Order: sequence, then C-alpha cells, then structure tokens
Amino acid sequence: MIPMEFYLPIAGNSVNVAAVFGMGGVVGLLSGIFGVGGGFLMTPLLIMIGIPPTVAAASDSNQIVGASTSGTLAHLRFGNVDVKMGLLLLVGGVIGGTGGVEVIKILRAMGNADFLINVTYVLMLGFVGGYMFIESLQAMRKAKVSTKRAPETHKKASAFERFQTSLPWQMDFARSGVRMSPVMPLILGILVGILSAVMGVGGGFIMVPVMVYLLRMPMHVVAGTGLFQMLFTCINVTVMQARTNHTVDFVLALLLLIGSSIGAQIGVKVGKKLDGEQMKILLASIVLLVMFKILYELLATPHILLAYVGGH
Amino acid sequence: MKRILLILLGVGVLLANVAAVQAAQVDFTVGQSAVNMDLFYNGASIPVTGSIPEGALVVVRFIGKIGEVTMKQKGKAMGLLWMNMNTLHFSNMPAICLVESSAPLAGAGRAGEKLGLAGVAESIVIEPASADRQMLLPEILKLKKSEGLYREDADAVKLESAKDGRQAFSGQVRVPSRLSPGEYSIEVFAVKDGEVIAQDVKPIAARLVGAPAFIANLAFNHGTWYGILASVIAMAAGLVVGLIFRSKGGGH
Repeated sequence: MIPMEFYLPIAGNSVNVAAVFGMGGVVGLLSGIFGVGGGFLMTPLLIMIGIPPTVAAASDSNQIVGASTSGTLAHLRFGNVDVKMGLLLLVGGVIGGTGGVEVIKILRAMGNADFLINVTYVLMLGFVGGYMFIESLQAMRKAKVSTKRAPETHKKASAFERFQTSLPWQMDFARSGVRMSPVMPLILGILVGILSAVMGVGGGFIMVPVMVYLLRMPMHVVAGTGLFQMLFTCINVTVMQARTNHTVDFVLALLLLIGSSIGAQIGVKVGKKLDGEQMKILLASIVLLVMFKILYELLATPHILLAYVGGH
Repeated sequence: MKRILLILLGVGVLLANVAAVQAAQVDFTVGQSAVNMDLFYNGASIPVTGSIPEGALVVVRFIGKIGEVTMKQKGKAMGLLWMNMNTLHFSNMPAICLVESSAPLAGAGRAGEKLGLAGVAESIVIEPASADRQMLLPEILKLKKSEGLYREDADAVKLESAKDGRQAFSGQVRVPSRLSPGEYSIEVFAVKDGEVIAQDVKPIAARLVGAPAFIANLAFNHGTWYGILASVIAMAAGLVVGLIFRSKGGGH
C-alpha cells in the first residue's frame, strides 16, 4: 500500500490512490469477464470513500470509456464482437437514454425520484439476477443428463420466437450466429436505454441478460458486444455530463482507469477459461448481492435521518 | 515647563490606556496566509499562535461561509421502507465549523457553550418552522461531523504559563480535505468567568493551485471540450495500458 493521497478538484475531496486503484482493478476484472461496465458496483464504492454521488456516477462513465477501450480491443482480437448487433443496440440505447433522462426529470419534479430508483433497482436486479441464477443452475444440472430445456422455458421461448420471426427485414448476424429483424435489438436497446438512464448506470448488467436470453447470443460474443456498445454509450454520457453538470472528475477517472484496465485484461483471460454457465452464475450472484444491499438500505434504519437534495 | 509636564502626563495616560487595552486583547498570528490546494493536498494544519489575557480559556474557530442547505428528512413509508419524505431548509448555518479550545467548552459557562457546535446549532434556522428541532439539530450535526466539516476539539490549543498578565497560546487548526475553495475566517476568543472578554478575527483563503486549478478551470469554463478531452485521454490511456499488458504476455 502506498499511503498517497490525491486531491480531486471536481469531487472536492482527496482520495487514497491505492484504494482507488484497487477498486478499479476489481471492477475491471468483472468488466473483462462479463462485459458489464460495473457502474452498478463502482458508483456505490466511490460514494463510500466520500465522492459526491453525482460526481461518482459521471466520473465512472468517463472511466468506463477507457476500460471498455482496452476490453473491446481485446475482444475484437478474439473475434468476440458482433459490430452490427452492437451498433443497433447502441442506436436504440441513445434514443432510449435521451427519453429516460426526460423520465427522470419528471420523477424529480414529483419528488422522491431516489426512492423510485432504488425500488426499480431492487426489482430489476432481483428479477434479472434470480432468473439468471436459476436458469444457469438448471442448465448445469441438465447438461449432465441431457440437453433438453425445462418445458416452461421452452414454451416461453417459442412464443417469443413466433413474435420475433413475424418482424420485418430478417437478417443474419454472423458473429452471433442468429437470424432476426434489426427491429429486435433496436427496441431492446431503447428499453435498456430508458432503464439505464433512470437507474443512472451504463446498463451493462441489463444489456447482458437481454443479449443472452432475448437475442440468444452466445456468451462470449455477448461480453465483447456489450463492451463495444458501452464504449460509445459512455463517451456520450461523459461529454453530456461534463457539459451540463460539470461532474466529471477526470483525475479520479484516470486513476480508476489504470486499475480497471489491468483488471479487464486479466478478466478477458479468466472469462475464456470459465464456461458460460459458470460465468452466468457468478454474475447472477454479484447482481443479487447488490440487490440485497439496496434492499437492506431501504429496510434498515439509516444512520443519519437527513439527506442532501441532489443538485446545487 | 508646566505645559511640557502636562504633555508628558497626557502621553503617560495614553500609554497606560494602550497597555490596559492590550492586556484585555486577543493577539494572534496565522502561520500561513492561504490554504493552497495542489494535487497532493490532503487537508492542512494551520498554525495559530498568539496571546490572551491571563486566566482566560482560548477558543480558536475556523469558520466557513454562512449559508443555507436544502435537505430531505428520511422517514418510514408504509411502516416498512425508508424514503426521503419532507423537504427542509436549514439556513444561518456555516458550511464548515472547526472549534478548538484549550479546555472543554462545557466548563466555560454560557459563552463557551455558544462558541461550540451546540451554539452553532442553536442559531440554525429550520424551515418550515413546524419542524422538530429537537430531533433535527443533532442529525444535522451528525451529518456535518461525518463529513469532517464540523468538529469540536477540547485541549487542542496549548496554553503557556502566565507572564505580565498575558498567556501565550499555540495550536494547529486541522482543516479537512473536503474543503471548497473560497474565503474563510479564523476567530480567536478569550473566555473568562462565562463571558467572552476579548476576540479577534483574521481572514484566510483556500485556493486551488497547480493541476487542480487547471482542471477546475477547464471543467467549469469549457465543459464540452473538457468532456471530449476526458474521453479521448481515457481511450488513449486504456489503449496504452492494454498494449503494456499485452507486451508483457499476461504473465499473471
């Protein structure tokens, strides 16, 4: 441990360099393995070391830009990026994100946006994490006996597939090995964009399950494509936040970045060694853990009964 | 001759007066004219030395701008989930208040109490007026203390033994890293028999210098460019780290 502190002018506080490197490294590792940006983990961690929430979220976006650059390139080298799919998701994400920002504005005006955001978190994380966890567990058990899926999931999938094939302009997505209409990823991108704007994160942890379960993409392509899409989403967010809210702390982002870039490189290699189901279970566990933490905060008596109102 | 005597007498009275006033004064110097916040700034210790009338207790305060802050009070919704409920405005409240003294303020009577955090809390105005002050004031102090912006430290100032009716004191005001650039003041009070018998105040500025000053200027005055630059540098840094890692063959 190097006992060195850096003063961050935008965050208005000083941070321990080693602590920030460490946090970046752990989150980078996860982002390399799963293709999630880790915003849903990083932001609470930064708040814990005394960074204002708005600065934490915006600087994290800036950090993800760098983190997903090296991750995306690593995945591109391994041929894990479906560029066509990624672009469609991105366009949808930008449209949805812009709409989501408006939704948040209305929520804030009504008061108590934070509470609604937290409840959304618990529901989304609980649903996504729980479903992934159970599904992967079943798949791992079934893999030993046969490759047949549970009848109920099969029924759902086929109804969904019928809807899917009814959409126009069916085309091949070679990298992912799927055939579908471009309307699919576009709509899903919009939905994820809205959610991620409302929840104030990159949205990787929603995008990944969407690609796995709804777009039926193989897990290794999901990770690469997720990072690719996130890179551009976060560039957009960084510039917007810097322009309108002045909340991007570039020094903080750079410190996190160095840690996370190294973590991401290790993560990509670790991800290659784990099999898809193991990866899904691991991600599901992390998602559920974060969900329980937020749920606990909603239920337990807070240490201090006052909170600052966001914005200046 | 008479006139000269009168003049001398007058001067003598004047000098005696000055000495008497001085004996009842607070006299202090601040070791630095400003708090310079550079890249390695991690809070500062500002030396404060001086002298007060003999037998008094010394209180040194570092005070920030008096302002107001809007907060939400947390409450239980449906008897189950904690959420932010009503909005509260706190005004007449210093952004930062660090109180250091030569002895516990509780033993310094009413005046000592008023100079401490309890006194600061007392003068805070809460709107709406119907709000529960008894409950809210300790909460706001708790919040500010947890941020390191409010602190009360007895025995932090050292008082020397008395000499010619005066006592020298010395202390270090420990300023937290979570300090906004701006104007602050250092106040010194001499408290005796439950009353402030003398006081003085000196201004001190906190300013960004070096890299933080450069970054803050760019971020607040050229936001779009700053955002683009931040993205480009992040990508470049990401690439460089990636390249370094690859060339090492990933031995981990």
